[in-house]
Amino acid sequence: MEPKQKSEKFVVPIGPQHPALKEPGHFEFTVDGEIVTNATARLGFVHRGMEKGVEDRNWTQGLYLMERVCGICSHVHAMAYALGVEKLANVQAPPRAQAIRELVAELERIHSHLLWLGVAAHEGGFDTLFMFSWRDRETVMDLLETITGNRVNYSANVLGGVKIDISDAQKDALLKGMDFLEERTEHYMKVVTEDETFLGRTRKIGVMTFDEATLLGAIGPTGRASGVQRDVRVDSPYAGYPDFPVNIITSDAGDLEARFIVRIKELYESYRLVREIVDHLPEGDLTVKVPRRIPEGEVISRVEAPRGELLYFMKSNGSDKPERIKVRTPSLCNWGSVLTTAIGHKLADMPMILAGIDPCFSCNDRMVMINGKQSETQVWDWENLRQYGIEYYK
Amino acid sequence: MTIGSMLGDVVKSFFKKPITEKYPFVRQEAPENLRGKLVWEPEKCTGCMLCVKDCPSNALELIVLDKVNKRFVMKYDLDKCTYCAQCVINCRFSCLHMSEEQWELASINKEPFEVYYGREEDVKFLLEKAARGEAEEPCGEN
Amino acid sequence: MNITFPSLIALLLFPGGLFLLSSGLFFEYVDRKLVARFQNRIGPRWFQPLADFVKLLAKEEVIPAGTIKSLFILLPIVALAAALTAALSVPLFGFKPVFSYNGDLVVTLYLLSMMTLCIGLAGANTEDRFSIVGATRALTQLFSYEAPFMLAMLGPAIALGTWNISLINQGATQQSLWFIISQPIGFLAALIGLMGKLELPPFDAPEAETEIVAGALTEYSGRGFGLFKIGRDLELVVGLTLIASFYLGGFSTPLDFIWKVFVLLLITAALQSLFARLRIDQTVGLWWRVGAILVLCQLVLIIVGNTLSPFVAPLFGG
Repeated sequence: MEPKQKSEKFVVPIGPQHPALKEPGHFEFTVDGEIVTNATARLGFVHRGMEKGVEDRNWTQGLYLMERVCGICSHVHAMAYALGVEKLANVQAPPRAQAIRELVAELERIHSHLLWLGVAAHEGGFDTLFMFSWRDRETVMDLLETITGNRVNYSANVLGGVKIDISDAQKDALLKGMDFLEERTEHYMKVVTEDETFLGRTRKIGVMTFDEATLLGAIGPTGRASGVQRDVRVDSPYAGYPDFPVNIITSDAGDLEARFIVRIKELYESYRLVREIVDHLPEGDLTVKVPRRIPEGEVISRVEAPRGELLYFMKSNGSDKPERIKVRTPSLCNWGSVLTTAIGHKLADMPMILAGIDPCFSCNDRMVMINGKQSETQVWDWENLRQYGIEYYK
Repeated sequence: MTIGSMLGDVVKSFFKKPITEKYPFVRQEAPENLRGKLVWEPEKCTGCMLCVKDCPSNALELIVLDKVNKRFVMKYDLDKCTYCAQCVINCRFSCLHMSEEQWELASINKEPFEVYYGREEDVKFLLEKAARGEAEEPCGEN
Repeated sequence: MNITFPSLIALLLFPGGLFLLSSGLFFEYVDRKLVARFQNRIGPRWFQPLADFVKLLAKEEVIPAGTIKSLFILLPIVALAAALTAALSVPLFGFKPVFSYNGDLVVTLYLLSMMTLCIGLAGANTEDRFSIVGATRALTQLFSYEAPFMLAMLGPAIALGTWNISLINQGATQQSLWFIISQPIGFLAALIGLMGKLELPPFDAPEAETEIVAGALTEYSGRGFGLFKIGRDLELVVGLTLIASFYLGGFSTPLDFIWKVFVLLLITAALQSLFARLRIDQTVGLWWRVGAILVLCQLVLIIVGNTLSPFVAPLFGG
């Protein structure tokens, strides 16, 4: 390895193994002293071939495989899949099941945002906030374990409904948990907006204006912190959201502090929704029968993961195995914002900017092909893909 | 603008007990719904194989010894199971349930991970047949 | 206490040498345990720093290509030697300093800075990008906290009119008002300056784990890393002893030492857990804008107080 002698700039790799990243991904920042002048990213270290794997399994088995695309947002993946299959099969899950789906989704959002708060604080060197927010996250993990039976990968969905029910004792536990968490979240809101040292790391760092956000396609809390008014729960409600609607939360500042504030305010919304659902849970069955062979068709299923809009394209050819499932996860859209806002900031801000979009690398590994100049659509089948791969690696 | 906004937390935790659980000396009680190890009762099983068909990781195998008299042995692979409980939902006769007691399933060798469920004489019959090296007739999924 | 130890025993066993090294490990344990308790966790057991040290000594030392080999191996040894030598002139554990002479305050302060210089050199020695960034930050931080820290340590020296640490210690025990009350800004600057010197959070930018892996010491492993770590623990002991001896009224017995240093350790651990990490430019800005100016004002006040005291003392009856 030769050192770069002539220019002052050199490349600092935040490489596949780095304490700042919880999952592997490769970033190269070209640094001039401490100022970053260029940034590139390379993903794909956690590619598991799930879209191919699901073609060999029947629809029920595919539900559990798709749930394991991501550990933190596993329920929304399963929910998107189940909603898509139900649409293809032309059945509607009963209202009680839809409400329970929304309940678990909001609980998952709570756990994901608290996790993110701790991790972002750790990237900024504020270990105390990290320890305390993860301690409080244990409350919601215990609640999820009581309701669904597992702390991660809840497996609450089945095709046609849910497999869990909420008893009265669990309802009381839920309400108590929400009260405790709301009190702690108010404290964290105060810390995040008032602590001097923390503000020095987050205010006016990583600013992304509204125009930049729309150009780069930022979605989820990252985009909403820059004023983009997009939230799938509000734009096209699914599951229980028509009965228990949610308010959209945006901010205009667009810096790291705004992203913190948007996520903490979303926590408040989730607490309110959980309380509402627990109080007004509709009666009824939990599942509806879904045939083994799903009729032919194509469907697009969109849900709001904690990180943004999650999109599933599902194609069925009438048999009991899916023909093609394409997953587009939200973190994939937000990378452009990191690479653009990183330029001009100091190297010390890089981990916080990276953590600011709440990256979920395991969701990310798809092949992205950017057709800048061509305007016609292309359809590739398996042979084309194989040939391209062989050519690429020559 | 405050400096040291977590001071209250920090001072309070100094005088409280730490929140860490000293596992394995102190074990928390598991909730009722916990999806631990799968348990199969052979009394009501009719051999419909719905559980085997829908298992995402092919962890179940129902070996038919005598279909007319309903003598089955279930081979359950603990290390393949994902603890999703789809088999429990599929079974129409409630033969399967997930235990909430047995969730500490780590082991040093591979033996505890292959579990045979069934009536005692059936399981013994099967294992002796395997030891004698004869071919079995598994009726798992194709 | 005024016991004189024969020099060989003092160097190797007590209060220097082995006892000093084990007390360095003990201080690290207390610091980590306090920080853990502040964060509502359990923290390590008492032999954890010793276990870490032994494990590091037992690991293979990997010398990366492109470094100057002799410098790579020598720098940790020099750093540890500097810390051990600095410990000889301070009133360790309440006993008289082993080796004291006029002007040893200045020499001790410079020996304490040797550690940072060695870390900076060690980082610049390797070709790893993380080390170079870490070395730059370490040396930048050295330039920022050094001036206020030294001025703060000189405050009591000027007030007592001597540059000999054991005489300052004696003088501090005989003062009616502890220096922490008459020179509060100096105390604050000294304590926070010590945190900067030891690269404790919030001043751990040169060693920022989430940004540049381990900073200047990224390429070190095994013995060299162990020696750097224990040198840093020794600096913690020596630094806290100095500050306690100057500002908290000196030591007359070992019991004095124990409770005073423990109070300082408590405050240091609390300060470690309260703040987010400061970026390197924020550290420099803080020290040069706030720290240096305040300490300069403090110094001016001390000098004014000193010149005026012969005239003011008779008014208060002596």
